[in-house]
Amino acid sequence: MAVDRRGFLKFVAGVSAGVMVTPIPWKLLDDASIWTQNWPWIPSNVDGASTYVSTVSKLCPSCVGMKVRLVGDRPVRILPDENHPLSKGGISPLAVAEAQMLHSPARVMRPLKKAADGAYVAISWEEADAMLAEKLGAAKGGIACVSGDETGTINEVLSAIAVQAGSGNFYLMPTEAQPAAKAVAAMGGKGQLGYDIENSDYVLAIGANVLETWGTVIRNRAAYKAARPHGEEPAVQYVFAGPVQNSTAAGADQWVPIKAGTEGVFALGIAHLLIKAGARADAADFDAFRSLVEAYNPAKVAEITGTNPEQLKSVAGALMKARTPLVITGSDFGQGTGAATVMAGVAVNMLLGGMNRKGGLKLLPVAEPVVSSAMTRAEMMGKDFVSYMSRINAGKEKAPAAMVFYEANPAYALPQATKMSEVLAKVPFKATFTTFLDETAMLCDLVLPVPMGLERLDDVATPYGSGQALYCLARPVAPMPANVKPAGDYIIALAGKLGCSLGVSSWEEVLQAKAQAMGADWDSLMDGNVFMSDATVSASLSFGADALAKSVAPKAKEGDFAVAPVFKLGIGTAKTAIPPYNNKLIRRWELQGNELYVAMNGATARKLGVLMHDKIVVSNKSGNLTARVNIFEGIMNDTIAVLMGLGHTAFDQFSKGKGENVMQLLTVGFEAGTGLSVWNMAGVTISKA
Amino acid sequence: MADRHLHPANGNSASGQFGGAAPFFVGLVVALILGWWAFPQMLYSQKHQPIRFSHKVHMEGAGMECSSCHFLREDGTFAGLPTTESCAECHSEPMGSDPEEVRFIEEYVNTGKEVEWLVYQKQPDNVFFSHAAHSMDSCNKCHEFTETELCSSCHPNVAETDEAPVYYENKLTKYSKQTMKMWRCEECHAHPEHYGTTRSSNACYVCHK
Amino acid sequence: MQVKEFKVKWGMAIDIDKCTGCGACMVACQAENNLSPIEDASNKIKVMNWLVVYELSNKKPFPEHDVAYLPRPCQQCGTPPCVSVCPVIATDKNEEGGIVSQIYPRCIGCRYCMAACPYHARYFNWLDPVWPEGMEKALTPDVSVRPRGVVEKCTFCHHRFMQAKDKAIVEGRDPEALADGDYVTSCTEACPNGAIVFGDLNNPDHQVYHLARSKYASRLLERLHADTQVYYISRREWVRRQLDNYLDNEKVKG
Repeated sequence: MAVDRRGFLKFVAGVSAGVMVTPIPWKLLDDASIWTQNWPWIPSNVDGASTYVSTVSKLCPSCVGMKVRLVGDRPVRILPDENHPLSKGGISPLAVAEAQMLHSPARVMRPLKKAADGAYVAISWEEADAMLAEKLGAAKGGIACVSGDETGTINEVLSAIAVQAGSGNFYLMPTEAQPAAKAVAAMGGKGQLGYDIENSDYVLAIGANVLETWGTVIRNRAAYKAARPHGEEPAVQYVFAGPVQNSTAAGADQWVPIKAGTEGVFALGIAHLLIKAGARADAADFDAFRSLVEAYNPAKVAEITGTNPEQLKSVAGALMKARTPLVITGSDFGQGTGAATVMAGVAVNMLLGGMNRKGGLKLLPVAEPVVSSAMTRAEMMGKDFVSYMSRINAGKEKAPAAMVFYEANPAYALPQATKMSEVLAKVPFKATFTTFLDETAMLCDLVLPVPMGLERLDDVATPYGSGQALYCLARPVAPMPANVKPAGDYIIALAGKLGCSLGVSSWEEVLQAKAQAMGADWDSLMDGNVFMSDATVSASLSFGADALAKSVAPKAKEGDFAVAPVFKLGIGTAKTAIPPYNNKLIRRWELQGNELYVAMNGATARKLGVLMHDKIVVSNKSGNLTARVNIFEGIMNDTIAVLMGLGHTAFDQFSKGKGENVMQLLTVGFEAGTGLSVWNMAGVTISKA
Repeated sequence: MADRHLHPANGNSASGQFGGAAPFFVGLVVALILGWWAFPQMLYSQKHQPIRFSHKVHMEGAGMECSSCHFLREDGTFAGLPTTESCAECHSEPMGSDPEEVRFIEEYVNTGKEVEWLVYQKQPDNVFFSHAAHSMDSCNKCHEFTETELCSSCHPNVAETDEAPVYYENKLTKYSKQTMKMWRCEECHAHPEHYGTTRSSNACYVCHK
Repeated sequence: MQVKEFKVKWGMAIDIDKCTGCGACMVACQAENNLSPIEDASNKIKVMNWLVVYELSNKKPFPEHDVAYLPRPCQQCGTPPCVSVCPVIATDKNEEGGIVSQIYPRCIGCRYCMAACPYHARYFNWLDPVWPEGMEKALTPDVSVRPRGVVEKCTFCHHRFMQAKDKAIVEGRDPEALADGDYVTSCTEACPNGAIVFGDLNNPDHQVYHLARSKYASRLLERLHADTQVYYISRREWVRRQLDNYLDNEKVKG
């Protein structure tokens, strides 16, 4: 029949009515609501069985023990490890981001060579091998090695290369360990200072940021956790003396403000009061020490350190009343302090009878090297990298023909960073073994990728700050990226090519030998256990009064204001920069966009005539930075606090170009009595921008 | 004509009524056929599993049980579909003469790849389902399910099949035809008699993540 | 609005005096819950951090200045203002345990709940989450990944609650009676100072039960009567005063 308009409309009506009782509209609507939410660019969950592997962090200076959760074969979470003595149930804000850092855009994934136009091009390992063999071979006798891994036995391999092929120039990046080692040497001791925080009932930290960055931080904090039941009177008193009311001050029962760099004087002030109250120590030069501290009465100490004499007296009194007090001295930003600071601290512990005592200061045994002609730990600690660089800068020493860096970033991290980078530029050939494309890599001719701690077999031997001799392994939980080679084996092979005989043929052999030297059982270590020993070495030290007397007098400042860098683990280290999640930890008035904020107290601001958010220029002869003012009353007068870890010019989008690097302001000086380089008393002038 | 409306084309006879309504019913029927037959044909595409896995061979032939591969792990999670690694515990070398097995070993065991099995009960990321909570102990407090009955209340019973059933994939949503929607879970979770005897509640977070 | 009562009430007791502001909890939370990193984190109103550590000050000048750090997760209120305003019931407090749920596919992104929350605990996905290439491999399968346009908040790591219940079932224990420590949030687990204690506020066998009843424990913005499940403990009176902006002449607990 013919379909007329009405017929057609009726047909349509029929279809419409019919469609309503079919699934079409309802299913389509429902499916559309799902389809519109299926956005393929949003990652989906990928399931798998969860397994857990215990290891230790090679990235975080706290050497925190950690449990890695893998889903299938992917590491997804870094969790605390209650069984690991360097974790005890806590995880550091830096190590917790390691699973994400495995995929950081800043990772070096293949060997890179600097091309003629300054860009970095990928090359094959064969080409890299050839380049290293040629350049390092030609530089034999003039190779310097720098390592940023303070606790690993890789240092023995590197130092052996330096000794056999490079005139003995092996350096560790500066930390708290070198001044401590120098102090022990000056006091006639052997071994490494150990701190039995767990058993102390009164912990006085002078400068040492024990609850944030100093030593085996997470272990320190586990001791702190145990000592402070929720909402109750703490079982252990914590007191922090330093220029900034930092994390340790926040957790401590008392903050004693002292000027930056005057930690040693403060300790001597305590010693003065202790001796006055009758304290003695069985050391040959006690009398010399006593006459040295005679001058450091509370009034004098107050004048030099800016402290309140009553506070000094009350702290000394509390120390005397405590049963197992422990005094820990160091730099408030983890580096740059003199041996005198540590010597003064050790002296106080001696006066308190705390040497090799439970809850006190210990002298821990250090194993002998296992690699042929490697430097001993004491020798490594005695080498002063900043001093070396300063001598090259001053023309007093020739720049090495070649420099090899291992997980070190001196171009960013050294004091007077700008100047130091210029010195590094003088070295004709530089190669770096690095995980991330850092500032130093951007100065090098050859950049070689190193697997991350989660991808390699490595070790941690008695980190500075530990209370016992300790040895544990970092075990691989993820495969290395395709073009990355295990550094230990590679460097051993390289040593062979350079004609060095190390007495070992593989990295695992080195670790096994080290384990044996420490007294640890290899199989137990490979099972994830940690070796610890109660052994101590002789703690009968002298006061080193001579060296101390020459060293402790603070040098004159350059400007009217002091710089107090603030080191927070969450912001990363020079090796890691800011992990992708961690830039959210930077506080609002520490960085806005790319503008740095520096903090000062209200009195300092009024003196300068500046208000919050005003732009200022902070400068001295070593460098300058422009920043805005943040008013924070938890800072010593005439001091500005600057967050460390900003001002990166390399790495990835999470770190690059944010703020400025405070290291450029830290002018280097030399401690009179020991020759150690120091940079914790930088002075600056401040003007409105 | 001005009074056309008074004179319908077909008049008031019975045939006129039906004749007038015929297009409507034709349309109705067309819609019903379209909606109930053609539409499902078009909406779902038929897919097959990447490997022709036979449950029969494994259960009767090798004497395995459901829980040999599909088990609750120690930590309470469900193993789901076995990984290539667990299959390789037996199939590192060909055990039979089936070319599919050889293909499985070559393409998956030797390369370490996971088989992308098509999951009939695929649920979106925002759904959390706990096999541990839907255990025999829990449900059989009141019911008398056999294991087969309980598992088959959600999954197709493939225990005795020689090859996996056809996988119907919704072309629009990319989910399986058998993917249960929320109302199906609520048949138990919102059932008043389940409160008090089981822990099943209809709270959002019981099933979502 | 009526307070919903549950047999089990998951809550926290956070000791402000123990928090040193390191941020391990903040990073652990991001890693556990599949949050995405962001290049510029300076806009603290928009940056997504389910758990935020605030810095408190006694407002005194140097040298009397005192500082404190306060971690603030979602308070899981007993009478949640966010739940009462949600037009689509994307958020509700209806599960045994008292955790306020947030269902992303149901959320329409109106942000009424964000306006209602007095603790600024809710965050809106203004943008699609972006991870650097390859970093999605570090995502956990426990928490769904949110697209732009939905609100999200701290869930007391609810997925860990479900996992703990599953583990209890498999081990033959009662999943409704989890022991202290069977289920802890990621932030609780990460904190090296042990500043966060997590557990069942109704169960005397759980540590948090007693800590919440400590003489120094009180809640944030107590007088709003949101009946929150996060208790803050401090032996310092100035800190307790700031928990609810007490005037100088008002008395505080403890």
